[in-house]
Amino acid sequence: MTAANGSGGSPEPGLSDLVGNVRNGMIPAHIYNDRAVFELEAERVFGRSWIFVGHESEIPAPGDYVVRRVLKDSFIVVRDEAGQVRAHFNMCLHRGMQVCRAEMGNASHFRCPYHGWSYRNDGRLVGLPFHQDAYGGEAGFGRKNQRLLPAPKLDTYNGLIFICLDPEAEPLPDFLGDFRFYLDYYTKQSAAGIELRGPQRWRIKANWKIGAENFAGDMYHTPQTHASVVEIGLFREPRAEKRKDGATYWAGSGGGTTYKLPPGTFAERLRYVGYPDQMIEQMKQSWSAAQQRVIGADGFMISAASLYPNMSFVHNWPRVGTSEDVLPFISIRQWQPVSENETEVLSWFAVDAVAPEEFKKLSYKAYLMCFGSSGMFEQDDVENWVSLTSTAGGSMARRLLLNSRMGLLCDGAAVATALSAAQFAGPGSARVGYSEHNQRALLNRWADDIATPVPCPGPAGTGSAPMRAGEVPA
Amino acid sequence: MTRREAGRAVLGGSAPAQQRTGRPLPFGDDRHLQAHQWLVDEAYLLDSGEYESWLDLLADDIHYHMPVRVTTALGAGFDTAPGMAHFDEDKYSLSRRVARFMTEHAWTEDPPSRQRHFVTNVRTFATQDADHLIAESAVLLFRSRGDVNEAALVSAGREDLLRRAGPGWLLARRTITVDESVIRMQNLAVFL
Repeated sequence: MTAANGSGGSPEPGLSDLVGNVRNGMIPAHIYNDRAVFELEAERVFGRSWIFVGHESEIPAPGDYVVRRVLKDSFIVVRDEAGQVRAHFNMCLHRGMQVCRAEMGNASHFRCPYHGWSYRNDGRLVGLPFHQDAYGGEAGFGRKNQRLLPAPKLDTYNGLIFICLDPEAEPLPDFLGDFRFYLDYYTKQSAAGIELRGPQRWRIKANWKIGAENFAGDMYHTPQTHASVVEIGLFREPRAEKRKDGATYWAGSGGGTTYKLPPGTFAERLRYVGYPDQMIEQMKQSWSAAQQRVIGADGFMISAASLYPNMSFVHNWPRVGTSEDVLPFISIRQWQPVSENETEVLSWFAVDAVAPEEFKKLSYKAYLMCFGSSGMFEQDDVENWVSLTSTAGGSMARRLLLNSRMGLLCDGAAVATALSAAQFAGPGSARVGYSEHNQRALLNRWADDIATPVPCPGPAGTGSAPMRAGEVPA
Repeated sequence: MTRREAGRAVLGGSAPAQQRTGRPLPFGDDRHLQAHQWLVDEAYLLDSGEYESWLDLLADDIHYHMPVRVTTALGAGFDTAPGMAHFDEDKYSLSRRVARFMTEHAWTEDPPSRQRHFVTNVRTFATQDADHLIAESAVLLFRSRGDVNEAALVSAGREDLLRRAGPGWLLARRTITVDESVIRMQNLAVFL
């Protein structure tokens, strides 16, 4: 496929073939390094999905801001003076200069360096040099009601800030769906929620989908790719025989992996992965009975997960010192596409805001040793993904359908039956063992999106008589 | 974690605290020559992957810290991400990183990268304690993997605390000031 409608009698299959193959679990290898596919994704995946841009704990005070991107669109994610979180498109209404060129900070106003237009941190235009002389004052160009373009939609869940470029998109709670049940494990261990630190940012020559798929459900890679971290005593869990006892689940717009824990109560199992009693008490208050049952009765502990399209989570419990004690950590990450073969990884450390200070330190240490730019797990993952992406860019990759049917028999029946509600209290569909159900769920969602155009919203003009599509300028 | 605390390591609270005094030592000073040679010898060990020998050059109480740099407005008063680093290591965590490279399953370095640490701009300072020196340097790491992808570079400044140990010196503290906010290298399976 080189374009949505196929190109000039090319023997390559068109979009419908691509989508059909993906739905059959046979993944055209070139989708991991194809400019035309990437352009479709920009419009139809990133143009309509809710995309994570930060957490409220990153901007706790009025004026605090971080600048984040959705592909090439830069947004100032800021808490205004009234405490409201906003996301402004980082482009001056006048000549299009970025009004904020820092990555983070605190500002009451953003002033364009080009001609000096300035905006309050709630986005409103307040400063316009020579407004009277150059524009004829309010009568000529009304400043009132002018503001930096807001993200078409913005909403939060447990302090996670999401924006969506499609003004007609479904509300965030509907988009997340039942994945919220699992999001709470990562982001609501207490009523206070998490605090997010970072992100570490680095670029990898890999397609963005690979990381999202891997975190969504790839338990199969763990014993092989990460053999070294078991050998050096960093993380005892990923031995092959143990990893396959875990369950994967898919619910709403996301899915993830779990480890099966040794027998015990809710509290004993959380102690087993290193949580102090004080935090376990908070979890009892914060999580629903069903959320507690997944751990306490069913015996599954969340590990990696992905939320479509490009946000992932990890929760592991390595050893960080010479003692046998383990320490859990949480990381939130985003696979920010740069191009069809390059991704910027943003990796944050997350920790419960009211966790004991000593726990926060050790959990941070656990994170640094395992994940992020220098993490010992992450190092080997990226090596694989870079290699895959590079190879996917050639002509032979266009002839290869990658087999992503693990967990399915030839006739489409599942190798392992879905867990019943009595076996797994969480929503969605869960199964024990190695499979690629989740990777297929993620890519099926992707296929649904790239097969469906996004209506292009008209331009929002600037000025007292903004021109809209179909209108004749005064 | 407030912005004022940016740049301060989360870990390493018990790291050795000696600070520089006065002007840089003259280039002909024996202490400067020793520090410079130490840095060049260290670069050789890193380039040749002799990580266990490198580990022997580190003091048991070492703090090895590489903050995450961020772009901030002039006058913001900080240019590192509060409470986050690429490395915030002690001897144990560094020893695990080295041990991993010694396994047969550290895929990211099998086949190994070709690395070259270019070390320059060395300045040495005395501390209040004759057994400790501060050595500043710039390091440019060139790393090439395989034959398809372009090589990657990391540029950084370093401030090292060297401690006299017998006839030689041990590294007791290192702060790595990387020059990019977004690292253009697939991972930091390297030491700087």
